Amino acid sequence: MRALAPVVVVLALLLSACGGSPAGEGGTAVALQFPPRAGYAFDADDGGLLTKLGVAEPLVALDPRGNPVPGLATSWAQDGTTWRFALREGVRFHDGAALDANAVVTALTYVLGRPAPPRAITDIGLQVAADGPMTVRATTTAPDPVLPLRLSSGSTSILSPAAYRGGGQPSPVNTATGPLRMTEARGTEGATLERFDGYWGERARSARVDVRYVGDPQTRELALRSGDVGYTEGLPETSRAGLRADPSVTFSEFPSARTILLQLNQSAAPFADVRVRRAVTAALDRNVLAQALGGAAAPASDLFGPAVPYGSTQAPPPADVPAARALLAEAGHGPQNPLRVRLWTFPNRPELPVLAQAIAAQLQAAGITTDITVGEYDAQEPEVLAGRYDMFLNSRSYLSDYPDAASTLTSDYTSGGAYAIDRYRSPAFDALMAQLGAVTDTDARARIYRQAAAMLVTDAVGVPIVHPRNTAVEKGVTGFVADPLDLRPVLPALAPAG
Amino acid sequence: MRVLLVVVVAALGVVEWPTDATDVANRLDPPSGRHLLGTDQLGRDVLARVLGGIRWTVGLGFGAAVVSLVIGVGVGLLTGWLDGTRARIVGTLVQSVVDLVVAVPTLLVGLVVAALLGPGLTPAVLALVVLGWAPFARLAHRLTVAARAEGWVLAARSLGAGPTWILRVHVLPAIAEPLRAAFTARFVGAMLTLAGLSFLGLGVQPPTPEWGAMLAEGRTAVFSAPWLVVAPAGALVLVAGLVSRPRRVVGPGSAGR
Amino acid sequence: MTGLLPVAHPVAALALRRLALVPPVLLVASAVVFCLPRLLGGNVTRSVIRSRSLASAPDPAAEARLAAELGLDRPLREQYLAWLAGALRGDLGRSFTTRAPVAPDVLGATGVSGVLALLALAVALAVGLPAGVLAADRPGRVVDRAVDRVGAVALAVPEFVVGPALVLVVAVWAGWLPALGWGTADRAVLPVLTLALFPAALAARLVRAETRVALAHPSTATAVAKGLSRRRVLGVHVLPRSLTAVLAEAGPFLTGTLGGAVVVEVVFDVPGLGRTLAEAIGSRDLPTIQAGLVVVLAVAMLLTLATELAGRALDPRSR
Repeated sequence: MRALAPVVVVLALLLSACGGSPAGEGGTAVALQFPPRAGYAFDADDGGLLTKLGVAEPLVALDPRGNPVPGLATSWAQDGTTWRFALREGVRFHDGAALDANAVVTALTYVLGRPAPPRAITDIGLQVAADGPMTVRATTTAPDPVLPLRLSSGSTSILSPAAYRGGGQPSPVNTATGPLRMTEARGTEGATLERFDGYWGERARSARVDVRYVGDPQTRELALRSGDVGYTEGLPETSRAGLRADPSVTFSEFPSARTILLQLNQSAAPFADVRVRRAVTAALDRNVLAQALGGAAAPASDLFGPAVPYGSTQAPPPADVPAARALLAEAGHGPQNPLRVRLWTFPNRPELPVLAQAIAAQLQAAGITTDITVGEYDAQEPEVLAGRYDMFLNSRSYLSDYPDAASTLTSDYTSGGAYAIDRYRSPAFDALMAQLGAVTDTDARARIYRQAAAMLVTDAVGVPIVHPRNTAVEKGVTGFVADPLDLRPVLPALAPAG
Repeated sequence: MRVLLVVVVAALGVVEWPTDATDVANRLDPPSGRHLLGTDQLGRDVLARVLGGIRWTVGLGFGAAVVSLVIGVGVGLLTGWLDGTRARIVGTLVQSVVDLVVAVPTLLVGLVVAALLGPGLTPAVLALVVLGWAPFARLAHRLTVAARAEGWVLAARSLGAGPTWILRVHVLPAIAEPLRAAFTARFVGAMLTLAGLSFLGLGVQPPTPEWGAMLAEGRTAVFSAPWLVVAPAGALVLVAGLVSRPRRVVGPGSAGR
Repeated sequence: MTGLLPVAHPVAALALRRLALVPPVLLVASAVVFCLPRLLGGNVTRSVIRSRSLASAPDPAAEARLAAELGLDRPLREQYLAWLAGALRGDLGRSFTTRAPVAPDVLGATGVSGVLALLALAVALAVGLPAGVLAADRPGRVVDRAVDRVGAVALAVPEFVVGPALVLVVAVWAGWLPALGWGTADRAVLPVLTLALFPAALAARLVRAETRVALAHPSTATAVAKGLSRRRVLGVHVLPRSLTAVLAEAGPFLTGTLGGAVVVEVVFDVPGLGRTLAEAIGSRDLPTIQAGLVVVLAVAMLLTLATELAGRALDPRSR
């Protein structure tokens, strides 16, 4: 080390002169957690990213509670299987072209024609056509009560017609409509955004935003602490206390629409027996499990958490080990016939192996022995979907792409759903989901979601463990507004402090 | 002194430590009399986990190095010893493969094997062995060719000694010392690579207390609970340093001793 | 074999013979790299869809459409031949995830890693060579002891400990340098130093051992007798004789860094080949994986050859 010291000093002195603020005057530098997965493709998760960046916009915007509000479309009306969307007048794309019905049809037709179209608009037979110069007609095979919400998904954003010429993947550089204009895209490394002065709505607060994508949480934290960036998100659990106490940073923590679930295979012994599933539920103390994540998650009492209006706000019941033992004994498991099960999980979300270990310890106290395997999700998925597992600790977002839980509930819990890992089969639950097809009213849908969540708890369909909490930090930057839905623009509100 | 240390480390590695005893109420406790190296996110004793990690990090690194040594020396002896045109062609081919394999980054192969078989202990060790044998093969080949030309080997041959006997009695002892040095380097390399793969999440998976995996779990806590980083990193550096500590001046003139 | 070649010079003959080996080895390697993941890797289309859209539920129809788009539904042999034909034209296919051509991405990343590796090697030699020579010249003095002790530590501390430690001290606490990134000189300092630590210590060790031998060589005594300054003797007469082992290690270090500096590239967020490959492996982006591995193998073979030739040119015994 001693031999290196002079070199370090000299290099540092020589090179510190070349540094300087990366974002420049009136600009903001941010480090985001998730890079574009597929070069800003709308048929990947990148549509949502473009919304978050404030670059591209869909027809419908969302208010903080997740209700549809005017975006590029100012009003909409349903008539059976048809919805009509009236477009906003005077909207310009970043390349100067004007927004009209043809531009919208071009954009949506492109994304509907992809091999795997976005979840929000797949499987409903959606077709779009111009209905006059500034009106778009959207039809579905069956009446769809939530089409405006579906079209609030970032994956249905509209780019300038120029982006779709040439046949390749449309690029959002200089072709979108949002308050920030992407001037340069540097792959998964970063992007440069500049304020779009011709924006139809509220102007972006930074003249320029320098976006870096940094996958490693500790690297993001160090970048913020060293002043490389002024905003970052998804901080390591163990750093939260330190950041909260640091007067030079503004630390925000807010719920996310995600649940970590202990899924139980109902299609085979031992969890085909509801008593064994209830025993597992009773054996677990979710308050302690949340504590094991150091406040990075709230204990879950059902599938939906505080991120949505219909989420449960009650604390889950504490563990009841005697009750768990009694249920197990009823099901024929005791000291003579101890229950031994496999618990699978995967390391991509670092909190899962930690939780798995804590869960195993609690189950052991109730007489259930678990063998933990931390493996690769891709290898586990076909096995768990085929019902060749015992317990699977999974992390699941109950809203994806747009603020409505129907698609997740259907794919995860109806008989034969595409992601029905618990292999729950309940005619009552299927009937409840079928009702949703005719309900447009937000409150009425929320009531159904509450019923559904309660039904899952009664039948002990897996155990909702915790709802992870998101974090964001600003240093020398102000204006961040937390969005538990994780579906609304974030960067346009950020401004350099002072 | 060294032998003593090896015995101590090996003994510590064999003992069952309570690595998985969780105690959430006492999570992230700093080092104290009760927990000499503090506790981690789940209240597990860090000292117990570091000690329990010996068998994984040190043991697996050692095992991978031993398997590499056996395969490599076997290949090297064979290609260095065999005579005749056909054998020489085979030898050249093998050495070309060796040249290629020596040059491929171990961590990269670790990544590829992890991609094919999924992350885990077996793929990580497999990656170490797939590449680890080559340097030994190269070294053993060179040394064998050199030893074969020595007068006493030629003499033994002319006296009618069988090849196995010559290899065992004359060649192996002659090449043992350089191989031992190479083995030490390989052992340290295997240990650090294994820990590196686990650090990247591709090797040994938590909750197994492998040091690289512990570092990966604990490194985000470097500000709030630095002992989670210092303990496994210190253990790794300590063992690597002890193993690779050089003996005094080794020069060509000193016949390797 | 040498006799078949109309080349008189043995080193040139060796070079030609080895160069002739490169294409067939690459061909075999590319076939292995191409076929193995497709045979062993499970459901590639599902992995690709998931890497693009994380929470998507399985949808066999979409997977079939994607397989058709990516050409994964064709027989393996046909896929490989198509890829090979493209590769010969410099087209390494399109990424499964980003759909962008792979060749420019992989070459760009190779460039980044190449610069990183060369800078680290330069720093390592700039520190290691003088340290080794001085240590050998004055046994038992400060430099000699430093090469011993500091070197022992440097050889034992892994990158994933050094890197974060440097970031903490230099970037966060002292605030001298940026913590992450690539592209400007100041951002390169920490990753280069992290990578240079091990080879610097190793170079110092190797040079010290060889310098001791070179110092004992009669030509050194002659040079001293001629009245040359100590510095000149060491620099001009002794150092060149002490580089054989360092040179032999330089090639493997460069190739090792080119694809294997994954840890440093992840910790410092450097868009190099190691990180690119690690990400591609994570998302089952087969074209990127293939291209990256073939590049690494090709560079590995060429560099091995180059170091061997350089070693022969420098080694007085083979002249």
